[in-house]
Amino acid sequence: LARVSRGPAEQGPSLCVLADSREICSGPEVISCLRAEHGLRVQVCPLGTSDYVVSNRLAVDRLLQSELQSPGNRNKLSQRLQRLQGSFERIFVIVEADRVRPGETSRFFQRTQHYDGVLSALIQAGIRILFSSCQEETAALLKDLALVEHRKDAAIQVPTEPEGHRRDILNFYLSIPNLSYGAALNLCHSLGSVAAVANSSVPALAAGARLGRPQAEELHRFLRHDFDLQLLPGPLPAKGK
Amino acid sequence: PGTGGSVVVPYGHVIGNEKWRGSEVAQRLQGKVRLIFEDGLGLVDFHLSNRTCILLISEADLVAGDEFKRRLVRFRNASSLRGIVIVEKTQISDQYYLGVQKLVVLELGMVLLPVANQREASQLIIQLVSFGVREQSRDHGANPFVRKQRAQLMEPAVLQTVQHIPGVGKTKALLLLQHFGSIHRLCNTSIEELEEVVGQTVAQQIHTF
Repeated sequence: LARVSRGPAEQGPSLCVLADSREICSGPEVISCLRAEHGLRVQVCPLGTSDYVVSNRLAVDRLLQSELQSPGNRNKLSQRLQRLQGSFERIFVIVEADRVRPGETSRFFQRTQHYDGVLSALIQAGIRILFSSCQEETAALLKDLALVEHRKDAAIQVPTEPEGHRRDILNFYLSIPNLSYGAALNLCHSLGSVAAVANSSVPALAAGARLGRPQAEELHRFLRHDFDLQLLPGPLPAKGK
Repeated sequence: PGTGGSVVVPYGHVIGNEKWRGSEVAQRLQGKVRLIFEDGLGLVDFHLSNRTCILLISEADLVAGDEFKRRLVRFRNASSLRGIVIVEKTQISDQYYLGVQKLVVLELGMVLLPVANQREASQLIIQLVSFGVREQSRDHGANPFVRKQRAQLMEPAVLQTVQHIPGVGKTKALLLLQHFGSIHRLCNTSIEELEEVVGQTVAQQIHTF
């Protein structure tokens, strides 16, 4: 009870975080901690791009320290973060210490040149970094981020579980490249119909989807893009099938 | 010069605050980077470039109290430089780390990097410097985490999206786009016009969608 009265409930019940479905396996304690300890609404959904979305513009990727240590991960990581930059204004990476299994003498973390190099590159690219020593701490950091974003009026404030027809429309929006899950949800709830979205100006799209200007422009271009069959790569399906 | 205004840092050099002369960090940096000591850097410990500087918080600073916090806030308020805070996170200072991180990253919007000791701090500074040098000498594409702006064909994506309209598969999506061109135009088409392309039921479905 003390938690409820002191916690984020004070800020209103609107504090909401989207979690990628894969996090159920890889970060179960993060999710349960967010719910039980911090009283946040956690909506698990197929985000695909990031591990967590804590506001309309901020995505968080949770990485294990060992993942940053090995050069083999570099390509995968850079592709993932570049994709994220396409759909979000702000990106945070939470570097979480690897779990030490019971019975294992705590392995000392050997800091490599590669690790320092990756950190330098992340900083240079404007990606924010937080460090966590366990899943519980990661949850606390996610809550802090959600609170800060709430203060800045960027919190996710629409229902996150559309049903029926709304579900179809959400899937339609989700198929648009570089449109984040949060922006797609906002479009579902703010602008009424798909036709209304298609007819919206760039500023109206930015306001409706709570998008930054460049992303709203990209969405606008996409909706009005004149399709040219000749530019479609790959073989066309056989006619009359 | 209380706060550390702009300092001109020669290419590939590091300018260190006089107070670090003879320290372990400085000794380990020497030979790896060209280190110059200067007086009057104020709050800043090391300048890595004209834009980037380092504030080093030692284990002792953390344990001693809140003085280092005042220093960080003073720096943030007074300087337009990009400040990277390196903090010594040891078994003793570990308990303070979360609080420091909250202040530096979430409230001040600066970069915070933990190291275990001065040796790690020097290694990290060397990487930061050499990364900056590489970044300037090569083109900007050198950073794997900076998003490259390349023009991508929208056709496949538009086709994908149209297939998310109920009743529309790949064949109908292609037909619709060939006739109406864009999603925008498709949304502004009457049922009658749609019927000419896809038949009554699907035209109805598209229109209600």
